[in-house]
Amino acid sequence: MSQRTWVPSPYGTIGPFFLKPLVDGCDDLTQWNGKKARGQQIVLTGRVVEEGNAPVLNSIVELWQADAGGVFPHPLDPRAAEADPGFFGWGRARTDREGRFQFRTILPGGSREENGVARCPHINVMVLAIGVTRRLVTTAFFSDTPESVDDPALNCVPANARSRLFAVRDAALDSGATPVYRFDIVLRGDHETPFFLD
Amino acid sequence: MASHPAKSTAPLEYAPYDDATQSLRQIPRYPRSFTRNPSQPLIRRPLTLSERTGPADLARRLPVDRMDLSRPDAGTARVAGQLIHVAGRVLDEDGAPLAGAMIELWQANASGKYIHEMDRHEAPVDPNFTGWGRLVTGAEGEYEFITIKPGAYPVGESDWWWRPPHIHFSIFGVSWMQRYVTQMFFPGEALNETDLLYNGVPDPEARQRITFQLQPTKVGIPNLLRYRQDFVMRGKRATPAVD
Ligand SMILES: [Fe+2]
Repeated sequence: MSQRTWVPSPYGTIGPFFLKPLVDGCDDLTQWNGKKARGQQIVLTGRVVEEGNAPVLNSIVELWQADAGGVFPHPLDPRAAEADPGFFGWGRARTDREGRFQFRTILPGGSREENGVARCPHINVMVLAIGVTRRLVTTAFFSDTPESVDDPALNCVPANARSRLFAVRDAALDSGATPVYRFDIVLRGDHETPFFLD
Repeated sequence: MASHPAKSTAPLEYAPYDDATQSLRQIPRYPRSFTRNPSQPLIRRPLTLSERTGPADLARRLPVDRMDLSRPDAGTARVAGQLIHVAGRVLDEDGAPLAGAMIELWQANASGKYIHEMDRHEAPVDPNFTGWGRLVTGAEGEYEFITIKPGAYPVGESDWWWRPPHIHFSIFGVSWMQRYVTQMFFPGEALNETDLLYNGVPDPEARQRITFQLQPTKVGIPNLLRYRQDFVMRGKRATPAVD
């Protein structure tokens, strides 16, 4: 066998022209395969801003999350057989002129590692944009009591920045019976979003 | 239509990317790279099921049979441009093929024009050229598609910067950690010398990993120039295989 080492290829920016057909129809995670996802439907929305609080239009936000029961529809999850057949778990959206993205999804359940460690309900979030040469990865957490959350990823974040990783229920924005959660993403500047090493 | 072989479910280890083999995050003379990348250090966190899983089965959710960008529909005339064939493999850091990886690609037409509302370049649109494809790797991680060589185009926000011909790629491996986006360049293009993104990868060896390799030419139907490049996705098996 070859002794060659295989080095990951260099990442690049997504640029300005990620074409519309690649984005359309990816922002609704509430149904899959003709079935409706179980659990509480929510709207997850927010603004992507850069330094100076300026909106980042035309950025791409992608999500990956567990279903309402905290199961990831993936063979590595020991509970994969219990995964909600109406939930795929992945989404993609583009930001508009105000830097705003919006998804319809369901409130994720908390998950548990095989070693017993619990994860607080959360959604993995990544941002791609002009000027972002390597994807930026963060996490949106969901809790009514953010101060008491014990999560292995959140615990790595400086205490004074943890609150920025919680999606905030904004009842004023609720669309009918669907609760709206806001998760703003500050790429750089005051109240910068904590991002994880990738 | 490609078959969609099941992916390996062996758990992988994900070390952070080695910065020396990657693009700079802040590239001199590329202003957006200074206002859109965090000022605070990136935070190391333990990887859990959440990050080790991912949308590995996207080919079931999205249409994946667009492999000939040079023909809008079977039987219609080809779009304008230099016809090329691009092939290669998607591998992980063990050099193991990634079967069933989804590849998205998008590009400008032969005149350097994208079909995108943000594209203000006054170059002709080719109404037959949609400029995107989506496909899935085969059992040996292999992929191939036919397209036309994209043209160069000016960057609207700059007074000098022309992008060299390039094709954009977005690849989904087996997990949230194995998600890759890049631009692939053509060898020998004069504009490569001045391109901020190409040279934003400072290591010349690493730049070769985002440069297509022209294959020996042949004459005969179908007449097209052939290029190859492999994509190496991050991720190693936890226990190295014994050779
Ligand atoms: Fe481009």
